[in-house]
Amino acid sequence: MQAELARELPPAGFNFENCKRNEALINGGFLAPKTVKTGTTIAGIIFKDGVILGADTRATEGPIVSDKNCSKIHYLAPNMYCCGAGTAADTEMTTDLVSSQLALHRLNTGREVPVVCATTLLKQKLFRYQGNISAALVLGGVDLTGPTIYSIAPHGSVDKLPYTSMGSGSLAAMSVFESRYKPDMTEEEAKKLVRDAIAGGVFNDLGSGSNIDLCVIRKNKTVDYLRNYEIANRKGERTLDYSFLKGTTIVTGTKTFNLDITETVIPMEVA
Amino acid sequence: MVHDIADSWMDAAVSTGTTIMAVEFDGGVVIGADSRTSIGTYVANRVTDKLTRITDKIYCCRSGSAADTQAIADIVSYSLYYHENQTNEEPLVSEAASEFRNYCYNYRDSLLAGIIVAGWDKKLGGQVYSVPLGGMLIRQPYTIGGSGSSFIYAFAQENFRKGMTRDECVEFVKKAVHHAMYFDGSSGGVCRIGVITETGIDRDIFFATESKASKDQGN
Amino acid sequence: MSSIGTGYDLSASQFSPDGRVFQIDYASKAVEKSGTVIALRGKDGVVLAVEKIVTSKLYEDDAATRVFTVDKNIGIAIAGLHADGRYIVDIARQEAQNYRSQWNANLDFEKGDRTIPLKILVERVSAYIHAYTLYSAVRPFGVTVIIASWNQEDGPQLYKIEPSGTYFGYLACASGKAKQQAKTEMEKLKLGDMTTEEIVKNAGKIIYQVHDELKDKDFRLELSIVGKETNGLYQMNPEKWLNMASEAGQAAKMDDDSDNDI
Repeated sequence: MQAELARELPPAGFNFENCKRNEALINGGFLAPKTVKTGTTIAGIIFKDGVILGADTRATEGPIVSDKNCSKIHYLAPNMYCCGAGTAADTEMTTDLVSSQLALHRLNTGREVPVVCATTLLKQKLFRYQGNISAALVLGGVDLTGPTIYSIAPHGSVDKLPYTSMGSGSLAAMSVFESRYKPDMTEEEAKKLVRDAIAGGVFNDLGSGSNIDLCVIRKNKTVDYLRNYEIANRKGERTLDYSFLKGTTIVTGTKTFNLDITETVIPMEVA
Repeated sequence: MVHDIADSWMDAAVSTGTTIMAVEFDGGVVIGADSRTSIGTYVANRVTDKLTRITDKIYCCRSGSAADTQAIADIVSYSLYYHENQTNEEPLVSEAASEFRNYCYNYRDSLLAGIIVAGWDKKLGGQVYSVPLGGMLIRQPYTIGGSGSSFIYAFAQENFRKGMTRDECVEFVKKAVHHAMYFDGSSGGVCRIGVITETGIDRDIFFATESKASKDQGN
Repeated sequence: MSSIGTGYDLSASQFSPDGRVFQIDYASKAVEKSGTVIALRGKDGVVLAVEKIVTSKLYEDDAATRVFTVDKNIGIAIAGLHADGRYIVDIARQEAQNYRSQWNANLDFEKGDRTIPLKILVERVSAYIHAYTLYSAVRPFGVTVIIASWNQEDGPQLYKIEPSGTYFGYLACASGKAKQQAKTEMEKLKLGDMTTEEIVKNAGKIIYQVHDELKDKDFRLELSIVGKETNGLYQMNPEKWLNMASEAGQAAKMDDDSDNDI
């Protein structure tokens, strides 16, 4: 009776009992689902008239390619774009959230938002989550201080560099940059260099593949978002027709049946 | 294994396997650091600036997790700026050091940060404070830190003299950092040096090719 | 009183139609009943002096003291409700300690570290007092707080905070029963450039002069100083200065009394 009057409250806070269950299931041989990770090649460089970002388009779930043409260069602001590597959901949500914060900041201040603002928002968010948001980012943009590239690691550390790469293919891409980058390149030179850096990842890193996306942001605030700038892995054309001709299967004999279908209709009662 | 590919590079935290150093002299301090940032075995940044501004005349040298030390530096910089506006006086180096110690000690279980705080103020002139891993705070005439410092303890002790001039201090720091960069795998790149005096900071870069070891090897 | 019966004096969270918060006025009334407290700022020191009215011979000498230490170079004198005053002193002490633990490396206190700047302490204590004038669930503090300090960089400093939370810096200030009379006496002085000896003597004189022998029989002079002479340390009832003040005070009183006799 007393229980009815003063019911016992469940303990406050999160309930973690499923964690133990899940662990037990995994130990018992259950294959737990994996998050989609963009084992990735992303890169960014500063050139004479602005910045160029580049990314491959492969998304993987463990050993399986889950999307052959995903988009890894995210919009942040008219003067800023951001490549994301890591967990697809995390890079997507993080850049989306920061993009909206930047939009509000732009409306509140009535000015173009500097690139450091995005960097600060991103790094503070990532640091707050202590690396649990799996987002490794290459942020590029132009503002009143000129063109800038930042790379932001999942724990929230920031590096400001003239050229950088991230993701599982970052080594391949960096080797291309280290051998060929020079300051004040022309746009065509720079595009070629970023393309080659991403191609390095696409061809030599198992986690990267498919096509190459580029994004050029110029000092004069014009942007070229070059989706599928290069289809690096075109599906091969079939050279032969593999359909079967009529009569390929030999008819050994025919037999005909006549079927009589009888049907009795029982009217529905409508009264 | 294919499915490990995407994970491996994400797991290791970005850390500054580092050599950092600071020396007091009459009228200021000399601070120095290498420029290598690594993720596991990969050099994520070979031109890192580990001499980080807190105020115009107070800097810190960062070692440990890059994310942790950058975040602490940002917070301390913010609170010192606030303090400066509230008191209408330039913050003291000891106040900056105290604030670093507060964060490093209170969050010692979740931080990986070894920090040297150095700078100039009108009360005590050039000062060097060390805030190592557990969040202790100690003032020293010179101090070394980071993974590379293990290799130069003897060198530093042997070559440090009280009352060195500014130029002698720069030479001392340069040599020490070069030695550490040579022997420590996770220190490298270039040697960045800053001299903080009443007027602010003077910065300089020294390439590893200028080091004695490098010349001895014929590089 | 105009406020009584109007209903506007029941809560600190409500204005009266003519723009007053009566609860604050009442708090000030509580201060006006208190024994007089004065403070004088000299060239290189500050003195706080209190007319502690002794209502019974049964109390010990140091009972219900009204000067307090906040930090090594900061002191407070209270006029008004004693219990409220002690609470405010505790707040001030906590603020001073917080400041030390946040900003002081505690390595070489004599050289490098500093106690809370008085301006900041006053800002924080007054913000606290002010917060108690805003809500219906609380009453304002029935005290006026006089805070004094000295250090090498800033010299002597003196502030007074009212029950409303407003505060000002002063050359000299007074609170309590004979506030007006004390202020009249102070205005005759060359404030700001007197020696410590002069301000101590004048403080003694004023307290003895403004004490009303007919209404309040007995009183005790409480006096504390901070300044160059005390090596920057706040001292409460230091024998040398206390004697100097009461001697000056008694002498002045004799003069006054003999004037009256004529």
